Amino acid sequence: MATKKYWKGLEELNKSPEFVQNANNEFAEQIPVEKFLGDNNLADNSGTNRRDFLKFLGFSVTAASLAACETPVNKAIPYVVKPEEITPGVANWYASTFHDGYDYAAVIVKTREGRPIKVEGNELSKVTMGGTSARVQASILSLYDSSRLTGPVTKSGETWNPSTWSNIDKEIGGKLAKATGGIRILTSTIISPSTKAVIADFAAKYPNTKHVTYDAVSYSGMAKANAQTFGQEVIPSYHFNHAEVIVGIGADFLANWLSPIEYANQYSKTRKVGKNKNKMSKHIQFESNLSLTGANADERVPVKVSEQGKVAVNLYNAVAKIVGGSTLPSSALACDAAIAKAAKELADNKGKSLVVSGSNDMNVQLVVNGINQLLDNYGKTIDIENPSYIRQGDDAAFAELVAEMASGKVGAIITYNTNPVYTAPASLKFAEAYNKVGVRISFADRADETASMAQYICPDHHYLESWNDYNPKKAHYSLAQPTITPLFAAQNSGTRQAQETLMVWSGNTSDYHSYIQKIWMERVYPMQGKYMNFTEFWNNSLHDGAIEVGKGGEVAAMPMTDSTKVVAPVVAEMKSDITPELIAVIKEIGKVDLSAAATAINAVKGGAIELALYEKVAIGNGNQGNNPWLHELPDPISKITWDNYITMSPEDMKEAGYKLMERQDRESSVLTLTSNGITVKLPVVPQPGQARGTVGIAVGYGRDKAGKLAERTGTVVGQNAYPFVQIMNGTMAYDSLSVTLANTNEITELAGTQIHHTMMGREIVKETILSEYQKNPKSGNHDEMLVTHAGIVKAADIDLWNEHERLGHKWGMTIDLNSCIGCGSCVVSCTAENNVAVVGKDQVMKTREMHWLRIDRYYSSDMTKDVAKETGEGAIQMYLDMENPSTQNPKVVFQPIMCQHCNHAPCETVCPVIATNHSSDGLNAMAYNRCVGTRYCANNCPFKVRRFNWFNYNENPDYTFNPTQDDLGRMVLNPDVVVRSRGVMEKCSMCIQRIQGGKLEAKKEERKLVDSDIKTACQQSCPTNAIWFGDLNDETSAITVLRKEDERNYFILEELGIKPTVSYLTKVRNADESVSVGKMPEGHEVKHEEAKSEKKEHA
Amino acid sequence: MDTICKQSKKHFLAIFSLLFLSFFLSINPVFAQDGEKIFKENCAVCHSMGKETVTGPGLEGVMKRVPSEEWLLKWIKNNDALIKSGDAYAVKINAFAESQMTTFTNLSDDEIKSVIAYIKAYVPPVKKVDNNAGGAAGAPSEEEGNPLTLLIGIIAFLIIIVAVLRGVRHSLKNLQNEKLGIPEIEKIGAWTEFKEWTRSNKTTTGVFVLFIVGGLVSAGWYALKDIGIYANPETKLEYNPEQPIAFSHKIHAGDNAINCQYCHSGVERSKTAGIPTVNVCMNCHRGISKGQSEAGTAEIAKIYDAAGWDPQAAKYNKPQKAIQWVKVHNLQDFVFFSHQQHVKVGKQECATCHGDLTTMTTAKQVQPLSMAWCIDCHRTTEVPGMKDNPYYESLHKKLAEKFKNLPKDQRKFTVDKMGGIECGKCHY
Repeated sequence: MATKKYWKGLEELNKSPEFVQNANNEFAEQIPVEKFLGDNNLADNSGTNRRDFLKFLGFSVTAASLAACETPVNKAIPYVVKPEEITPGVANWYASTFHDGYDYAAVIVKTREGRPIKVEGNELSKVTMGGTSARVQASILSLYDSSRLTGPVTKSGETWNPSTWSNIDKEIGGKLAKATGGIRILTSTIISPSTKAVIADFAAKYPNTKHVTYDAVSYSGMAKANAQTFGQEVIPSYHFNHAEVIVGIGADFLANWLSPIEYANQYSKTRKVGKNKNKMSKHIQFESNLSLTGANADERVPVKVSEQGKVAVNLYNAVAKIVGGSTLPSSALACDAAIAKAAKELADNKGKSLVVSGSNDMNVQLVVNGINQLLDNYGKTIDIENPSYIRQGDDAAFAELVAEMASGKVGAIITYNTNPVYTAPASLKFAEAYNKVGVRISFADRADETASMAQYICPDHHYLESWNDYNPKKAHYSLAQPTITPLFAAQNSGTRQAQETLMVWSGNTSDYHSYIQKIWMERVYPMQGKYMNFTEFWNNSLHDGAIEVGKGGEVAAMPMTDSTKVVAPVVAEMKSDITPELIAVIKEIGKVDLSAAATAINAVKGGAIELALYEKVAIGNGNQGNNPWLHELPDPISKITWDNYITMSPEDMKEAGYKLMERQDRESSVLTLTSNGITVKLPVVPQPGQARGTVGIAVGYGRDKAGKLAERTGTVVGQNAYPFVQIMNGTMAYDSLSVTLANTNEITELAGTQIHHTMMGREIVKETILSEYQKNPKSGNHDEMLVTHAGIVKAADIDLWNEHERLGHKWGMTIDLNSCIGCGSCVVSCTAENNVAVVGKDQVMKTREMHWLRIDRYYSSDMTKDVAKETGEGAIQMYLDMENPSTQNPKVVFQPIMCQHCNHAPCETVCPVIATNHSSDGLNAMAYNRCVGTRYCANNCPFKVRRFNWFNYNENPDYTFNPTQDDLGRMVLNPDVVVRSRGVMEKCSMCIQRIQGGKLEAKKEERKLVDSDIKTACQQSCPTNAIWFGDLNDETSAITVLRKEDERNYFILEELGIKPTVSYLTKVRNADESVSVGKMPEGHEVKHEEAKSEKKEHA
Repeated sequence: MDTICKQSKKHFLAIFSLLFLSFFLSINPVFAQDGEKIFKENCAVCHSMGKETVTGPGLEGVMKRVPSEEWLLKWIKNNDALIKSGDAYAVKINAFAESQMTTFTNLSDDEIKSVIAYIKAYVPPVKKVDNNAGGAAGAPSEEEGNPLTLLIGIIAFLIIIVAVLRGVRHSLKNLQNEKLGIPEIEKIGAWTEFKEWTRSNKTTTGVFVLFIVGGLVSAGWYALKDIGIYANPETKLEYNPEQPIAFSHKIHAGDNAINCQYCHSGVERSKTAGIPTVNVCMNCHRGISKGQSEAGTAEIAKIYDAAGWDPQAAKYNKPQKAIQWVKVHNLQDFVFFSHQQHVKVGKQECATCHGDLTTMTTAKQVQPLSMAWCIDCHRTTEVPGMKDNPYYESLHKKLAEKFKNLPKDQRKFTVDKMGGIECGKCHY
């Protein structure tokens, strides 16, 4: 059949010469350029000739530009009836509380014209002490999340239909009444007494109701251990501030463990040194992944996951040997020497030490309790009488519930503040069991993984739209109040507070606000003796936001129903001496058989590669998975944004032949990790300090139904690691002792903000050890010297320019590197305060992140100049080796870097349009509307803190994930700070809007400016108070006194003669040997650089 | 003699009392100046000086009505207490009042006395005939001769004359040619003739062209200066957009002497002075429903419409509507300007930037609000109260030290001396 031939025409048949010639041409006809240009007639006769064209062009350009000159008409629309408390242009602050079942923080909320724009810590809180974390700072953005549901929805088939509350209430009311089998309310930890009362009311109406508490990251094992040791299933309060030796075993207490903001604050108090305090706590950490806490430890010992329990047992034995006590069966460990050393430190500080473990294994926690009892720490650094209620999840009850659901015994389930379809261990098969429940109701604010499988979603208000009360710790209460009218406030079809919904279903028509007041009247008010009537008490509590009751010996009149079991209803005060109750408690110790626990721990068999799951500082348990600010916040340790990944020891990686990401390489090997039949595919990142034979993966990623972010960035961020969680001995284990890795031979790129990990032998971060510091407070902080014609002189003394005249204020900032834990709270705070754009993964990979403030993390390197001298290494090889961090167990330092506001700023001299210049009060100002974007300044900045705005992130359709692209998201913008557009340079302004505001208040009140008038955003958000800001021209300001008194004060790159305004305080480590991250040879190192700049006198 | 003596005594008394009175009066205005200020800030909102009732009764002849000055002082200070004390007159007038008067316990007796003195000494200004009293739409009261129209008229007139004369000349020339026997010249177009003329008078044409081009360029240059600027005093450009309600500042701030801050209450507390919300308007306009003209009444009705007020039923029973005012004084988004800084701390008068609003109907922009204008002012204005404000104490001392070596006329504590013209003070 193929012999048939079709001709294109007669030409082909005839094979005319023209055809043959043209057959090879793509275009059959020539473009008639010649003909057109050659035809004079055509040109003459055509209506448009060249001159006309130019005339029209000229006219239209002029006309268009003139038309564009018309000044726009702006509208000013005042309120019809202005709320009394609002003055346009003036911020109102309200005390409130953030709690999402995971993080707790007492906060104050800044509102402008009725919309919340910033969250700060509440300094009146005795729990969080005015600190915040990155997650708390970012929570403001989740209010303006357009992925939130705007009202109740019901499912019919696979589609969601909007409904009304009246319909929903009727329908669900009927179904609940008829529910066969039990009704279950599944929640994350609830620390709200009123919410618990609402649930109790609901249970009274429907007696077959049971409330199950489930935490995605559970501390159930700890509570169970305490039940055995003390007879109370509670989690104690910890007082890190009273501890002089802290030993952590896999507990990331500075970033995630229990109440990190509280502990970070307490911890920092023991770490600060100064003129009147030359002692600090010693912190030893045993862990597998390099956590934020481990990075801050004085001594860190990498141990395998399977060995963490054994470390506790061996530590118990080592302590028992010193203080006297029976030992437990144990097995030898490689780190026994370190354990013995830790034990000695602990025993030397009996009653002033603290051992904490991050394990959720009851046996390990029992042994840890044993150690603390041996050390006499109860009643001193651990307070079991004033328990913390921050985690109440019960793993066994949750597993039981899933089994019940699977067997069809549950008639209806209500989920509140929890997302088990996403977070539950794979082995439980939660989703399958969930589908077997007849009536599935969710209070989620969006159709998340669990809610999307429900039949009804009754969206809850955001916390900033809600009333609520909280009881994070015994005797500590705080209130949450609405700071905005609910955004989706339609009368019958908007969002509704979950508690109110439950109240309606249990037949209570009053509002939740008065319900809370009723509960407080009954329970909290009688516990205090300060106020004589309830209204006064309530108003003051609401104003203060957080209160502590029971101080001063008042007797609690009513038992609190929100604690699981209450033992001592007497005094809620921290005690330094032992009470009869405590003696009774301690007597019970003997009953607990620790040897059984130790035997069980010793029986744990490790694998070749063990997996330890962890929570990242930014994403945490994944609650705020749709928050772009958190995804853009670099992980403090890996400095990687927008991803989770497998962390692994570089040595293990070298053996396996994975890409090592050395020399600023972004490319990483993609692996598959399999454990218990579950597989994820993730890139692998070399993590110096990771225990060999272990890998780490962060939970909280891979949320495909978190909201619109995945759609806007084009991909779901990371992979879900929760399925790897296992149920062991009735509690969740966040590890897996036998995993297999396989290389997919795929390569992917990771968006790290810092791909250079060491200081290359320079002293950007200055460091010393405590014993040296005690001898000489200036140790580690030697002056930078320069060789000049006049001899060797201090770099600070040489000045090319004349000093500026500073008549008024002279702003200064000092950052204590000893207090900074690198948590990133300041970075998010800065983003919120200064309208910093989110740029996304692709742009971060091109080093175009916009953060005005970054936290540099440096590892120590095995190669130093000393080592090179010893081994005779050449300079080139030495510097190449210096780029590589120590793989085994590097020392880590953190250093927040923002614009240093140099007094002789290199950026200012190169700006061709004087867009950046110096103010009389010492700030390096940036006039965006003057900037033409040459980027000379960024080139000339030695700190690389100037960020160039490459795209119009506010409108460019490639960056829809930037909050400002969303009508709702835009509401978070700070109206006092301009939103920058494409083509300008941005940088830290030292929160000049706050400086101007603070000055103005003082001027108006006709008084001198004081320190508390101005706090920069980073300073205010810092949980460890590491940042000072103030007027250096004011002799009495804290910063002036500090700089004068503290000999740790130094300026980075002072030898360049740039005279920075920001200074740092040397980091002091309570370690034995001086392993400095930026190790220099001993003694004063003279910079052998030709001093080209000298003072005029020298010349 | 006796009578004379008596008369002279009478005269003497009269002269003496006159002298005394004049002496008293001569102090009185100084005294009443404070009274005027206090009156405008506190009383003018509700009380007019005439007969008409605003929210409270008009004050004309008030001194004759009240039992005594003492009584009036007590009444102003705390009318509530006076009513409760059972004072007969107080109870009586309270029975007539629609709403109770505010108490002024914050004012001292002396201050209230100064107000009473001001009321007593008040002389109503001579009423000027004012066409614009209604404030309707802020239309200019009379059409002044526009120079441009006049110019165009003259030019058109000249062109017509030239055209006519050309025709006449053509006819006359033809007539003469006919006489001389030269054949009739063909009538050529004006344009052709003009071209002919320019060719033969190249110098004159060149000069003309130069003038015209130069004029256009300079006009264009000045026009460019106004781009993006709503007002420019040099070119007499004033931005005066039409407002949804033809609110007359003249009637409120001028005739009725209401203090600016009564409506623009944010001026000392916030960065924005604030546009009064409708409920502020209603404070007075619940009682005042009639304007000074038909048009004025119609404008007041617009407030009722926005507030949802039914004047017949005297109730808020209709839906509220926001009034969309057109912003007159616009600053770019990248400029931070604070009213409280300038008014509260810098003690600037509103009129410095906003012009004399007591003579304007709807507000118009009279100052350019350009950066040059800001900076000029910052270079020349001394910071008032700097000496007495402890905030400036150390700065003032250091500046004074620095000024020691300068000639006296340069020792000025102007805003720019303390960093007031730096970028970062307004742009962030």
